[in-house]
Amino acid sequence: MNSINRNFTNETSLPRAFASLSRDLHRQLANDRNRSFRGTRGVFPAVNLHESDTGYVLTAELPGVAPENIDVSIEGATVTLSGERKIERVAGDGVAVHRRERQSGTFRRAFELPAEIDLDAAKATHKNGVLTLDLPKSAALQPRQIPVETP
Amino acid sequence: MTYPTHREIEAREKDALVTEDTRPGLVFRPDVDILEEPDAYVIMADLPGTNESDVEIQLDKGVLTLDAVAPDETSSPARYAEYRVGGYHREFRISEDIDRASVTAKMRHGVLELRLPKSAESRPRRISVEAA
Repeated sequence: MNSINRNFTNETSLPRAFASLSRDLHRQLANDRNRSFRGTRGVFPAVNLHESDTGYVLTAELPGVAPENIDVSIEGATVTLSGERKIERVAGDGVAVHRRERQSGTFRRAFELPAEIDLDAAKATHKNGVLTLDLPKSAALQPRQIPVETP
Repeated sequence: MTYPTHREIEAREKDALVTEDTRPGLVFRPDVDILEEPDAYVIMADLPGTNESDVEIQLDKGVLTLDAVAPDETSSPARYAEYRVGGYHREFRISEDIDRASVTAKMRHGVLELRLPKSAESRPRRISVEAA
């Protein structure tokens, strides 16, 4: 991934500078297909993408992440997943950790889908630690059957 | 410019177990945390996609065996795939001081929490000193 270098001297305010930086990051993440779908070792959460005529289904393995700690945002054809996985039990207070394989921390991933999403019909469900996003394509992009009329 | 950042997750790919099983399908080795509280051992295991009813736990001859199956709920093949769906298997050697009758297990958001209370004899005890 390219490094992000920006000169903020022209920015009039810090919030604007941050908004601009966040846009850049967002764009890079979304455009970087290698990062999104291949060679994904070390990336959390792992996702799968299924496609049908009417839309996409994106699933993500997020064990132990409460729904309130998952943020899903959609903008055009870009879906962003972010949040935090908290591991509540820490050492101390009479608790000893013998093995710690489960990772905690923040996560953020953006995906650019090949087609725009119908925002009003998009749906997110969370079950058994798996997040499922139902992302119907915009109505204009869905295949339609045109009846042939006889004059 | 530096930011006060949270640590970002560095997840590992699910480890597929190579077994001489006769069962079809993939089996993964789940990530676990093993903790010890004053009166119990606690095992937390990541089993994404698994229902409570799909988890089987056995304690036999000092070995605790965890088996689970995550049902594949997708109807079409994935266009992109980063993870695969299958079963989970892992074994733990458990110390002798477990009160086997009071082992409990619960599932929440795809994480299994196993509580293995220590037997009464092995719990830390406070002995008060009496004045003679």
